[in-house]
Amino acid sequence: MHIRSPKDFWSGLIFVALGAAFVALALQYRLGDLHRIGPGLFPTLIGSLLVGLGLIVAGRALVLVGPSIERIHFRPLLVSLAAILLFALALQWLGVVAAIAVLVLVGAYASRDVRIWQVLALAAFLIVFSVAIFVWLLGLPLPLWPSG
Amino acid sequence: METLGNLVFGLGVALSWQNLLYCLIGCILGTVVGVLPGIGPVATVAMLLPFTFHLGPAPALIMLAGIYYGAQYGGSTTAILINIPGETSSVVTTIDGHQMARRGRAGPALGIAAIGSFAAGCIATLVIAYFAPLLAEVALKFSPAEYFSLMVFGLIAAVVLARGSLIKAIAMVCLGILLGLVGTDVNSGTVRFAFGQPELSDGIGFVAIAMAFFGIADVVINLERSDKQEIFTSSIGSVLPTLDDLRQSFWAIMRGTGLGSVLGILPGGGALLASFAAYMVEKKVAKPPRMFGEGDIRGVAAPESANNAGAQTSFIPMLTLGIPSNPTMALMIGALTIQGIAPGPQVMTERPELFWGLIASMWVGNLMLLILNLPMVGLWIRLLAVPYRLLFPAIFVFCCIGVYTVDGKIFDVYAIVVLSALAYVLLKLDCEPAPLILGFILGPLMEENLRRALMIAFGDVTVFVTRPISAAFLIASVALLVVIALPTLRAKREAAMQE
Repeated sequence: MHIRSPKDFWSGLIFVALGAAFVALALQYRLGDLHRIGPGLFPTLIGSLLVGLGLIVAGRALVLVGPSIERIHFRPLLVSLAAILLFALALQWLGVVAAIAVLVLVGAYASRDVRIWQVLALAAFLIVFSVAIFVWLLGLPLPLWPSG
Repeated sequence: METLGNLVFGLGVALSWQNLLYCLIGCILGTVVGVLPGIGPVATVAMLLPFTFHLGPAPALIMLAGIYYGAQYGGSTTAILINIPGETSSVVTTIDGHQMARRGRAGPALGIAAIGSFAAGCIATLVIAYFAPLLAEVALKFSPAEYFSLMVFGLIAAVVLARGSLIKAIAMVCLGILLGLVGTDVNSGTVRFAFGQPELSDGIGFVAIAMAFFGIADVVINLERSDKQEIFTSSIGSVLPTLDDLRQSFWAIMRGTGLGSVLGILPGGGALLASFAAYMVEKKVAKPPRMFGEGDIRGVAAPESANNAGAQTSFIPMLTLGIPSNPTMALMIGALTIQGIAPGPQVMTERPELFWGLIASMWVGNLMLLILNLPMVGLWIRLLAVPYRLLFPAIFVFCCIGVYTVDGKIFDVYAIVVLSALAYVLLKLDCEPAPLILGFILGPLMEENLRRALMIAFGDVTVFVTRPISAAFLIASVALLVVIALPTLRAKREAAMQE
């Protein structure tokens, strides 16, 4: 067995895995009959279709040659996700001002090209802008500061 | 005549101070995101959804629509000046547009793009005004069986016209449908795929999905590519095309508009497909075919007219059938749903002010865009000097605050982290996000119509093939799949996508 088209092979496997997971869960719900279809029927059908398509995609990848996967750069991905995670935590406990500050200051490091003064200025600008628009103008219920 | 009366009525709605203001905001934002390469209309519409909650449905839709067609204007500016498409729908404009710029004719290239877009926008508005009511009338007669088959057809057509592998696109549709089914089943009350998380019983927010795929993951992929861009702003000169330019491009604009209007209505159509098709047709039919690829003004006029026409006519299936033809339209349906309006043929009769106001606002918006883009093009070019490293943290901020304020749930922000990771992996493996979004929006609707159709037919599955309209949709879907699977046509499709 030789993988000739890595992109297709791995996407096929992902489809099979996700489809199978959905089918496994859907089978726990009532299937019903065709007159009154239950909550399990449609997801079971679509999930099975996804598994089938995934198998075809992965199977073809063993025969047909396709492009290899471009290098995965972990820095942009992990830093971005971490920044958003920190935003969620900060918003919950510290309010929106701190949350935006954390998001911008951490998130900026997703790029290799960081100029600290520009990032600080950007954070300040985005805090003022967001608070002005979202909180004062639109009156959205965002806690500004730590709730004590 | 009735259409004219309706348009006048719509113009009355569109010309109210509030709607004019939101139309202008939409057009300006659309131009900005159109000019900036790293951010597109889908992410922008998603980020702006929270802003539209406190607006009425009409101003909300008018603003969001302005972003979509405004982005088509802005995209050409970047394509012409720096040889990078500001939007995917401006990819072909780079070919002749940038060549014109290198020959010192950047001004006329920008000018003809704006004029062509304006002409196309005006004509497409009329097309919508005439055709949408006809389609809505037909659609009012649809029963659940027809709706189900129509959605199948819509999804199949959308993936056939999408880029990349067909099977992977259909798989993405399935994945989208499954993600769309997460949450409480409206019929039985069963909470599905929620893993005991109470937050998931309302389902996954479509704003979170759209932002993950078109916002966050897109930024991450952009950051991986670190190519430097050269900005070409030295001499734009007069943006007014010469009389000769106008004479040369007149038919190119008309052909582009016609093709764009038709392709926009098709499921999976819209601005992107329209611009590609228009350029290829123009290359074949234009006489003399002398210098395509070397700065032929018709190579700018045709695709730029087509993408604007396509952007506007893609509203027709969304407004009349409630079926999105591309991700932006899927978000529009979401915006309507948030406003408590079920998209479908009844919108036109029940909310005429919304329907005709939106259509008339496109006219107004196109006029605004012409003014925004011709005399003020210098201002937008300066935007290109903003480096991406300062742009993307702002995208993060608007995505995060936006997704939180949709429902005020911190859970949605966590959801975006997980979804972005999934989106990154899928994008990295060349799985197109657009079919997933369409499946996500249509999934629950498909299930509901399937259930109703079978209930009415007492469990008889042949109802889908014995009702003629439903059968026609299903036959068309199968025919599309067969046609596209034929080797000769597939080679052609791939060649066309390559171009």
